[in-house]
Amino acid sequence: MRRACVFLLCAVVAWVTAPVGAQPQTVKIGALFNVTGGMSSIDAPGLNGAKLAVKEWNARGGVLGRRIELAAEDGKTDQTTVANAMSKLINVERVVAVGGLNDSTFALAAGPIAQKAKVPFVIAGATLPNLPDQIGDYAFMVPFTDDAQAFVGAIYTVKTLKARRVWVMTDKAYDYTLTLTKFYKQKLLELGGVVVAEDVYQSGDKDFSAQITRLRRISPPPDALFISAVPDDIGLIVRQIRSAGIRIPIVGGDGYDTELLVTIPGKALADNIYFTTHVSLTSKAAVVANFVKAYTKEYGRGPENAFAALGYDTFNLLLDAIRRAGRPDPAAIKAALEQTRGFRAVTGTISYEGGRHVPKKSVTVIKVVKGEFQFATETTP
Amino acid sequence: MRAIPVVVLAGGVLALAQSFLNPYYLRLVDVTGINIILAVSLSLTNGLTGVFSLGHVGFMAVGAYSAALLTLPTARKALILPDLPAGLQQVHLGLLPATLAGGALAALCAAAIGYPVLRLRGHYLAVATLGFLVIVRSVLINWERVTRGGVGISGIPPYTTTWWTYGVAALCLYVTWRLTQSAYGRAMLAVREDEGAAAAMGITPSAFRLLSLVVGAFFAGTAGSLWAHLITVISPNSFWLTETFALVVMLVVGGMGSTTGAVVGAVTMTIVPEALRGLEGGIQVAGLNLPPLFGLSQLLLALALILTMVWRPQGLLGGRELSWPRWLRQGSLPRRANK
Repeated sequence: MRRACVFLLCAVVAWVTAPVGAQPQTVKIGALFNVTGGMSSIDAPGLNGAKLAVKEWNARGGVLGRRIELAAEDGKTDQTTVANAMSKLINVERVVAVGGLNDSTFALAAGPIAQKAKVPFVIAGATLPNLPDQIGDYAFMVPFTDDAQAFVGAIYTVKTLKARRVWVMTDKAYDYTLTLTKFYKQKLLELGGVVVAEDVYQSGDKDFSAQITRLRRISPPPDALFISAVPDDIGLIVRQIRSAGIRIPIVGGDGYDTELLVTIPGKALADNIYFTTHVSLTSKAAVVANFVKAYTKEYGRGPENAFAALGYDTFNLLLDAIRRAGRPDPAAIKAALEQTRGFRAVTGTISYEGGRHVPKKSVTVIKVVKGEFQFATETTP
Repeated sequence: MRAIPVVVLAGGVLALAQSFLNPYYLRLVDVTGINIILAVSLSLTNGLTGVFSLGHVGFMAVGAYSAALLTLPTARKALILPDLPAGLQQVHLGLLPATLAGGALAALCAAAIGYPVLRLRGHYLAVATLGFLVIVRSVLINWERVTRGGVGISGIPPYTTTWWTYGVAALCLYVTWRLTQSAYGRAMLAVREDEGAAAAMGITPSAFRLLSLVVGAFFAGTAGSLWAHLITVISPNSFWLTETFALVVMLVVGGMGSTTGAVVGAVTMTIVPEALRGLEGGIQVAGLNLPPLFGLSQLLLALALILTMVWRPQGLLGGRELSWPRWLRQGSLPRRANK
């Protein structure tokens, strides 16, 4: 027992005092994603995108004449671990800026640490409105916010799908799903739509027959179903609704944008679905096509979803800001980020105008036909 | 009295840590402290009295939410929780009263559920306490006026410091130690070993089971409050099954039924995953470039857990206590009987 204790103590001491591989001629930036756990279907592609961006910059000679070193940490879909990882990146790895995270609960746990240390934190994919305001002036967002995508979803429902009577179902367990529903309903009512009935469930539920029975009782049936869900649940919901013989169009947000939407219900049932997201990866635009090509070459498969593109954009934006800052200094990088205007990213154009740290970006609508993701439209709300 | 040098020594170490340690390591020290409170309080319920509770994280949630509602600045409360009952709207307390209130509320919940639930035994009791966790989660998700539902509460002031954490941890250890050394503790042990025999000796098993659940819940509540003020954002998903099992793993690793075992388990399960982090990012060994392997730490921990179960199912300390050095030694605890 004593020997084991001594060994453990030695191991801890060795680990604490281990020299951090500091090379003077590099610029070190941090990537924080939940590569394992519930968020991994979204965060792992994000990290792949981030690594690709850094690799491309290094191939072009790095930034400010120095090689870029990417310190990547796994948050393990756990708030305590995410906060620990952020602290490690800043205090041990001594990165000059951090990018990553696709969910606000985790961004809010990690953000204050970066804010306190005055290190810029660029949020890759969390879409909660006013997220930077809650963290502080060192936080920036790459994606659009939920109000923007919910508005576009509502406009698409009413104007394009010609649906006026909408049934709304919301996952009560997430910040994201609740916010999305709130803004969707607001816009829908503004446009003269009606919510015929509302239902709820909790992430992790496996049986939606009660909700589907209530939905069937609505007469006449609604014109569209708005379902605010996270990736883990939406596949199952679509499967059960479609299996029940309900063919009404389903509308949702960027939580739909994973392969789970198609793999769980199967190609035949994943049909007549519309969702808002950050980019259509089938787009012909050069910036998108180049990214898809580079990603496919690097990883042997196409980008899994828009979060790969967001991760890529986050680090391109960050490295561009470091280049414009002229020196790898957190305060200078923050100032350079604030001056970002018209930065051409895969997921749209990023500008931080009027002191806002949230970009005004276009929202893409994707149409799912027999398991195929097709580009429907792109608008700026 | 003989504990004074230990307290002074621990205080000195913490003071040194505060002034010299890098904020990352200091954060790990704080997280470790919170996990120590959680594991020790659970060991009181699960280990000492043999009430296998899976609802500990539920008590933690009660403590975290109630304390957060008390410390949140009134301006922020008006902004994010406009429908809060007027009494709560105006309150703004410091960490200590809020933490105590959180612990007290958790203890109250434990008393309320303990009365009906503690009639059950073994697996039935474990499932019933898991039921409590489900109830807490449902309340947190649906009582939107007070908890903000799935959105959770953010912007909690970062009040938790190393001193508060270890102050509460010391209190928790002291209470547990006093309890185990007292007639109450012996009675709890007796209830765990043989309820019938204990009852024949004039001990009321239900009373002691309830006592251990309530005391455990109080400290779980205080740990919840400290955690909320460290992470600064809480949501119903923060207190769910992953956390429940992480806690049980701490106890299993350290050894059920031993307070120091719980401490060892908490320290190990906090530090080791973070230490393994270094392996995950991809390392260079003798010119060999290993690619990053995320998930490696979980894999190694799972493997270590299986190996522990195979070779040392009683946990690292196997139900024994680590004792003080001879010059500080107190009376030792009776060992857990081998069943």
